Amino acid sequence: MNAVAIRAEGLRKRYGDHEVLQGVTLDVQAGEVVGLVGENGAGKSTLLELLAGVARPDEGRIVVRGAPVRWRRPRDAADAGIGFMPQEPSMVPGITVAENILLGREGAGMRFGLVRWRAMNRLADEALREIDPTIAPGAQTQSLSFQQRRRVAFARALAAGTRTPEAPVLLLDEPTSALDPDGVEALLRGIERLRARASIVFVSHRLEDVLRVCDRIVVMADGRCVAERAAAATTAQELQHLMAGRTLAVEMAYGRDRSHAPGRTCLELKQLTRIPGYADVDLAVRSGEVMGLTGATASGCHELGRTLSGIDAPQRGRMSIDGRIVVLRDPAHAVAHGIAYVPADRASEGVVGALSVAENLALADRTGWRIDRRRERAVAARWIERLRIATPSASTRVSELSGGNQQKVALAKWLAGPRPRVLVLDDPLRALDVRARRDVVDAIRAAALNGSAVLVIADALEELAAICDRVAVMRDGRIREDRSTSAATRALRVPVERAA
Amino acid sequence: MDAVRSNAASSLAPTAVLAVLVIAVSAFAPSFLSAYSLRVLAEESSAILLLATGQTLVVILGRIDLSTAAIASLVSVLVALAVPRLGAAAVPAALLLATAIGAWQGVVHVKARVPSFIVTLAGIGLWSGIALAVAKTTVPIAGRDPFLEWLGQSSWGMPHAFALALATLACFHAAMVRLRFGRELHAIGLAERVALLSGVPVGRVVVLTFAASGLCAGLAGTAMVARSGSGNPSIADSLLLPSIAAVLIGGTAITGGHGSLLRTLLGVFIVVVLRVGVAIAGLAPAFEPLAYGLLVVVAVAATIDRRSIGIVK
Repeated sequence: MNAVAIRAEGLRKRYGDHEVLQGVTLDVQAGEVVGLVGENGAGKSTLLELLAGVARPDEGRIVVRGAPVRWRRPRDAADAGIGFMPQEPSMVPGITVAENILLGREGAGMRFGLVRWRAMNRLADEALREIDPTIAPGAQTQSLSFQQRRRVAFARALAAGTRTPEAPVLLLDEPTSALDPDGVEALLRGIERLRARASIVFVSHRLEDVLRVCDRIVVMADGRCVAERAAAATTAQELQHLMAGRTLAVEMAYGRDRSHAPGRTCLELKQLTRIPGYADVDLAVRSGEVMGLTGATASGCHELGRTLSGIDAPQRGRMSIDGRIVVLRDPAHAVAHGIAYVPADRASEGVVGALSVAENLALADRTGWRIDRRRERAVAARWIERLRIATPSASTRVSELSGGNQQKVALAKWLAGPRPRVLVLDDPLRALDVRARRDVVDAIRAAALNGSAVLVIADALEELAAICDRVAVMRDGRIREDRSTSAATRALRVPVERAA
Repeated sequence: MDAVRSNAASSLAPTAVLAVLVIAVSAFAPSFLSAYSLRVLAEESSAILLLATGQTLVVILGRIDLSTAAIASLVSVLVALAVPRLGAAAVPAALLLATAIGAWQGVVHVKARVPSFIVTLAGIGLWSGIALAVAKTTVPIAGRDPFLEWLGQSSWGMPHAFALALATLACFHAAMVRLRFGRELHAIGLAERVALLSGVPVGRVVVLTFAASGLCAGLAGTAMVARSGSGNPSIADSLLLPSIAAVLIGGTAITGGHGSLLRTLLGVFIVVVLRVGVAIAGLAPAFEPLAYGLLVVVAVAATIDRRSIGIVK
C-alpha cells in the first residue's frame, strides 16, 4: 500500500505582508507517520491549519486520497475523515467529554436536532478507547485535568478521522507540549497504536519524540520544506542543525561585538518561585550585559518574564534592582522601577494597533502631563530611522505595519523614553525575516551598550547565540545551566547546511 | 489624536443625519428655525449634553456608566434642600459629592473587579433610593442662590446652562487632545493590555474617568434645578437612554477606543432635534423612541471596530 493519503501541492499563505508559507509540497502516504519540525515561525502550524480547513491557502491545492479538495470550513475537512488537534486545543467547559469530542460533527449522536445520548457516548467511547480508556464519555469536561483534556482533544481528532470508512488522517500540532512525562508517554503510545491504521502528521519541538514515533521527518524553515530524512537515518543533532541553519548564518554574517565590559549587577533574583511556573530561580544580570534565557514550552522562562513585567507576583523569593529589593504590585510599578518588558504577543500586548507609530512610541514615556506633538514627531523620526522601521510616516497606524515592524515599535517604545534599567524581551525574534532580525538584534545590543541589563527569553538556543553574552537554560521551572554563550554554542558551531 | 481620527465617511454620517432631520422638521413646521424654538432646543440640550459628555469619556475607556441620570437626580434634590442652609456653598458641595460618587464607583469597579455595567446599574438603585429617601417628591428651592439664578437665565438668546454645558465639553475635549491623560484613556479603550504593560496606571485613569462622569452628572442635575426651580428624585431619569444614545449616534464606538466629544455634540443635537421635532411636527410621541432605536443600531453597526473584536456578542 503506497497510496498518498493527503498531499499539499505548492501551498502559499500570506498574512499581511509576511508570507508564512512559500510554496509547500508535502505527501503523506497511507499508514505513514510524518514528523514536521522547524523553528517558531517556520510555518508548521499554518500548514496544518490549511490542511484542516481552518484557513484557506492563497495558492496551491490540497489533494485527499487522489481527489483535489477545497475546504470552506473546518467541518468539511472533518467530514472527509481528517482529524486536527490544534496547538492549544480549547474545550467547552460546561458540557460532557462526549459532547466535546463530537461538537459540531455529532453524526449518529444527533437526529433531527435532538441529542441521542447513548449513540453519542458510544461514538465518543470508540475514540477514547484508543487514547485513554480511563476517561468516561459522560464526565464533565471541567472536572478533567489539563493532561486528560489534551487526551480528549486527541480523541476528538481521532473521532473526526474515523467518520469515513477510509483510513483516518490525523494532524497533530504540538500534541505533547506542556504535558508531564506520563502524559507524553500516553500520547506517544496512542500514536504508536494507530500506526499503520492512520496517516499522521506530527508537529513537535521535542525531537526525541519525533524520532521515536515517526517514519519520516520533514524540516521546515521560513515557510518552506528544506530537508527530509528517514527517521531511522538521522539524529536529533542533525535535525537541530537543519532547523537552525539560517539563524547561524545570520549570526555569522552579522558578527558580534563583545569588546565592552558589563558593569555591576543590576537585576538579581534569589529563590524566586511561582508555582505553577518556576521555582527557586537564582539569576543575576549585570548592567550592559545581554543574558539569554531559554527552555521548551512550560519550562517556566515565559512565566518568569511575566513576573518581571509585574503581571504575576512571585509567591516566594526576592527580586532586587541595583541592590535594592523591589516588590512589584503591577506593571505600572515595574515601569516606575525602570523595568521595560517587550511581550511575545506583540499584536495584543506590545502595540496599540489603532494608534500611530508616534503615539505608540510615546505611550511608555511617563514624563509630563501634556502631549508635545512636535517632540513626539521628532522622537518618532529618530527611532524610525535608527531601527529602520518601514512605515509611510510617523502618523501611520501601527496595525498597517508588518509584524517585524510592529515588533520594532514595541521595542522602540522603551528605548525612546528614559533608559530602562532592565530590559526584558520575550521571544523578540519570532517570525521576523532576516533583515528585521538583524535590526532588532542591533537595537538590543545597543540598549546593553547604553547600560541597560538585558534579559532575552527565547525558545531556541540558537537564536540567543547571536545576541547574548551568557545563556541560562530552564527546564521544568528550574535553571539547569548557566554559562557563557561561546560555551553554549560551541556544540552548535557547524557548517551551515541547507538542503532545498 | 492622529490615528484615532476615524475615516471621513463615519464622521460625515452623523452630520448628514442631523441635516436631514433639521430639513425634515422645518419642512413640517417652518417656525422650527426661529430664535424662540432654537432657544428651547438649547435649553432642552443642556442636561443631555452634560450627561453625554461624561458618558463619552467612559465609553471611550471601554466602560459604561448607567448611574449618570440617577446621580443628576440626587444632586437636584440635594441642591434644592441645601440652598436654604448652605447658600452659595450648596452647589459646589453637591458637585463635590457627585464627583466623589463617580470616583467611588470607579474604585469599586477596579478594586473588586466588578464590571462597570453592574457597579453603575447598582448605582441607579442606590442613588435614586437615597434621593427618594431624602425627598419623597418635588422640593422647591426655598432661598436664593445667585449662581442658580444666573444658570436659569439667558443672554442674547443663549441659555446660560447651555453655555455651561458647551464649556464643560470644550474643557474635556481639550484634556482629551492635549493631556497625556486623554491619550492614555484612548489607549486603554483600544488595548487595555498594551496600556497596562506600557506602564499606564490603568486603575487611576479609570477612577478619574468615572469621577469626571460623576462631575458631569452633578452639573446636569444643577442645570435642571436651575431650569425648573426645584429638585425632584426622578428629575433626570428619562435622560439616561437619550444621553447614551447621543454618544453612540455621534459615532463613539461602544467597544471603546474610538470616538470624540465633538461627535457627541453632533449626537446630542440629533437626539434633541428628534425630541423637539417630533413634538413640533405633531407626530405621535411613539415616533421618538422608535427613531432612537433605529438610529442607535445603525450607528453602532457603522462604528463598531470588528477588526479588533472578532466575535461580536
